[in-house]
Amino acid sequence: MTVERLPTDWKSEAMRKRIAGRYAKERRFRLIGLGAVVLSAAFLAFLLFTMMGNGLRGFTRTEIALTVDFPASPLLLDPAAITDESLNQANLPMVTSAVAKQALGPDADSLLSSTAWITIRDAIKADPSILSRTETIALPASTGIDLAAKSEGPPEAEAAVARLEKAGVLTTGFNWNFLSASDGTDPAQVGIWGAFKGTLLTMLVTLLLSFPVGVATALYLEEYAPKAWWTDIIEVSINNLAAVPSIIFGLLGLSIFLNLLHLPRSAALVGGMTLALMTMPVIVIAGRNAIKSVPPSIRDAALGIGASPVQVVFQHVLPLALPGILTGTIIGMARALGETAPLLMIGMRAFIATPPGGISDPATVLPVQIFLWSDEVSKGFVEKTSAAIIVLLAFLLAMNGLAIYLRNKFETRW
Amino acid sequence: MTGPAILLLLAGLGAIAWVSARARAMRLQAVARTTGRRDTVHSLPGYHGWYVALWTLLPAALFLVVWANVAPSLVTQAVLADPAAQALPLDGFSRSAILGEARAIATGMQAGAFNPASQALVEPYTRALDKFGLAGAILALVLAFAGGAYAFTRIRPDFRARTRVERLVMALLLVASLLAIVTTVGIVASLLWESFRFFSMVNPIDFLFGTKWSPQSAAMGYGNEDAFGAIPLFWGTIFIGAIIAMIVAIPLGLMSAVYLTQYASPTVRRWMKPTLEMLAGVPTVVYGYFAALTIAPALRDFAVMIGISGASSESALAAGLVMGVMIIPFVSSMADDSIAAVPQSMRDGSLAMGATTSETIKRVLIPAALPGVVGGVLLAVSRAIGETMIVVMAAGLAANLTLNPFSSVTTVTTQIVQLLTGDQEFDSAKTLAAFALGLVLFIITLLLNIVALRVVRKYREAYE
Repeated sequence: MTVERLPTDWKSEAMRKRIAGRYAKERRFRLIGLGAVVLSAAFLAFLLFTMMGNGLRGFTRTEIALTVDFPASPLLLDPAAITDESLNQANLPMVTSAVAKQALGPDADSLLSSTAWITIRDAIKADPSILSRTETIALPASTGIDLAAKSEGPPEAEAAVARLEKAGVLTTGFNWNFLSASDGTDPAQVGIWGAFKGTLLTMLVTLLLSFPVGVATALYLEEYAPKAWWTDIIEVSINNLAAVPSIIFGLLGLSIFLNLLHLPRSAALVGGMTLALMTMPVIVIAGRNAIKSVPPSIRDAALGIGASPVQVVFQHVLPLALPGILTGTIIGMARALGETAPLLMIGMRAFIATPPGGISDPATVLPVQIFLWSDEVSKGFVEKTSAAIIVLLAFLLAMNGLAIYLRNKFETRW
Repeated sequence: MTGPAILLLLAGLGAIAWVSARARAMRLQAVARTTGRRDTVHSLPGYHGWYVALWTLLPAALFLVVWANVAPSLVTQAVLADPAAQALPLDGFSRSAILGEARAIATGMQAGAFNPASQALVEPYTRALDKFGLAGAILALVLAFAGGAYAFTRIRPDFRARTRVERLVMALLLVASLLAIVTTVGIVASLLWESFRFFSMVNPIDFLFGTKWSPQSAAMGYGNEDAFGAIPLFWGTIFIGAIIAMIVAIPLGLMSAVYLTQYASPTVRRWMKPTLEMLAGVPTVVYGYFAALTIAPALRDFAVMIGISGASSESALAAGLVMGVMIIPFVSSMADDSIAAVPQSMRDGSLAMGATTSETIKRVLIPAALPGVVGGVLLAVSRAIGETMIVVMAAGLAANLTLNPFSSVTTVTTQIVQLLTGDQEFDSAKTLAAFALGLVLFIITLLLNIVALRVVRKYREAYE
């Protein structure tokens, strides 16, 4: 019995439709894939734009130009003998307030920041000769005016801004204070320097602890460790540590470093130690990969001309693997830099208004500062939080850029 | 003598030891070579230098570490033996307060005394501190000299200094790698110990299966029963981390990986892959702020608009969505790896039969890569449920057992943060509950990781 087989009729209507349908499906699938990529990237862009939109305002401050007629003002200062002491005794806050009231009206105190007199003091200090003439100085505006000028503030502040704008005294300046001050209660006067310094100290401790230990562990496991049950345990614990949620490290820091060893609370030392435990596995894993990629012929050659195993590793393998190890270290440090949760556990969420002087002083770090500001009710903190986020992201981008640069520059393909 | 001065002095001694030992080894070895005993020369002179320097430094350093722990109690004893200490009050608290103040003044950490009693003790304190500081410094220097001299006398052309130094290097490397075990043990021990204390106050069954979570009421003295039922927390964690976040992350991550590996041109791939990976590099506190500031209010308005009741400004959906976006790169890179591991021959075979690329992907590549993808998803889930800042900032604190994604739920990590920040006393069940939650979290993530790695490894073996 034979079955009559006909060749497929590719030209038939049904077949054409079928093929067109399959190609349409193909195109749809491809578009869905593209859509997924675009959607993910769009989310990133949306996040960055939101932060930029909110945060860039945090770097500027609204200023009110005040014309001060120094000779006519009730300021008793000798231009020839300006010292810190004479400036402090000159009662500048009162004078500033009086001059401002003359120029801006009786509500001047609510227009100018309570620290406006410091700007005048610094101006006199910088150039005492202005005491003998009339000078226009841009003074920081109060939080309400600042908010109203940038977006929206309380109605009375909006009215005041309209009035000031009409008078043409409202200007915008770069908010140096944001980079040089520390945490505070008035959003117009807070800055990130304290948190930034705390971050630097914490990262320093983290690096000093995790880098040597991580590299030593990687060298030992990759080059010397015998195949035994206990080296398996080391390997398993390193892989597990790399996957443990960061908050667990915070619990460890709290119960061991603080409660058992009585190290200082909220200090950069403890924060750095906790983050070092988190960073070490990252360095070990990256280091092992870098060491593994050094070809065995180099080891054999060194051994062949009489180097000892330790000499082989420290004089040949380690220098060749170092770029890879450094790249991994920077990536691990970047992750530690953005970490918040474990630091909350060890008390780094305290309100700290002075930058830390050393690693055992109470400190806070940038991500925690962002967290603290995000909790503030006052509307002025929104732009400060976003501005701090911009600084943090810029920092991270710089570190990752450095890692990529190192990898591209020094990576050797054997 | 102050600490830094001693350390500086020791470092100087070490350097001198290194230089002189090296010079001596060079001289002796030169003599040995000229007198025809060339083959007896063993280590390079530098190793002799290190050998003597280490003998100079290590015993002294070890002694200083021990001394730093012993000296304070010796100082206190000396002060208490002083006649000025007879006037101290007998009860422990004020006694140690006065002693502490006197010490602070004597070490220059505090300028003046609040308590006149401590002013009297400053003088004996200074004396005792000086005495024991000097004693420690002298002992350390003696040890340094003794160690250095012993090692110096051992320098001979054929002395195997390199072997000794390398043995120490190996020991240091070993100790460094053991730190990983110590850390793991430290985590497990601290979690177990504090949880054990918690479970002596609260029944583990009530904790694991209770449905009411209100540690605040327990802290206010309403008793521990019914206050520590963690089921709402577990549900919130799963709801946000394993359901909502995965609904976002799996399709987006998988499809991104498919598109970038199978369709995209090399240029697009080179730019888009790092861009997507940036999503994983953004600090979680930034995501949290973004979720709380932008996403959550928008979602609440949306929910109110379509008439969903119970919409809150801190919603499970906001936290889950943002967390899902954060997880995309994890899913995508795991999927990328496992698709790349499918043998090319399978792909070629499917294409040769006339299948389109999308049919090949859907019917051949993804089924073949599925174990790897599943492993990646499990890793992503373990990461999502351990994530803290997003949920702390966006998910809220109300322990609701609800299916409504627009309402506020709370998670294990949120509650850990909540219980441990603010004022804490270390014996209350409220504080210890955080460690019990941490233990549960640790065990769950560990299990997820083990299972995920096993799945991935098994699958890799299948194709190798």
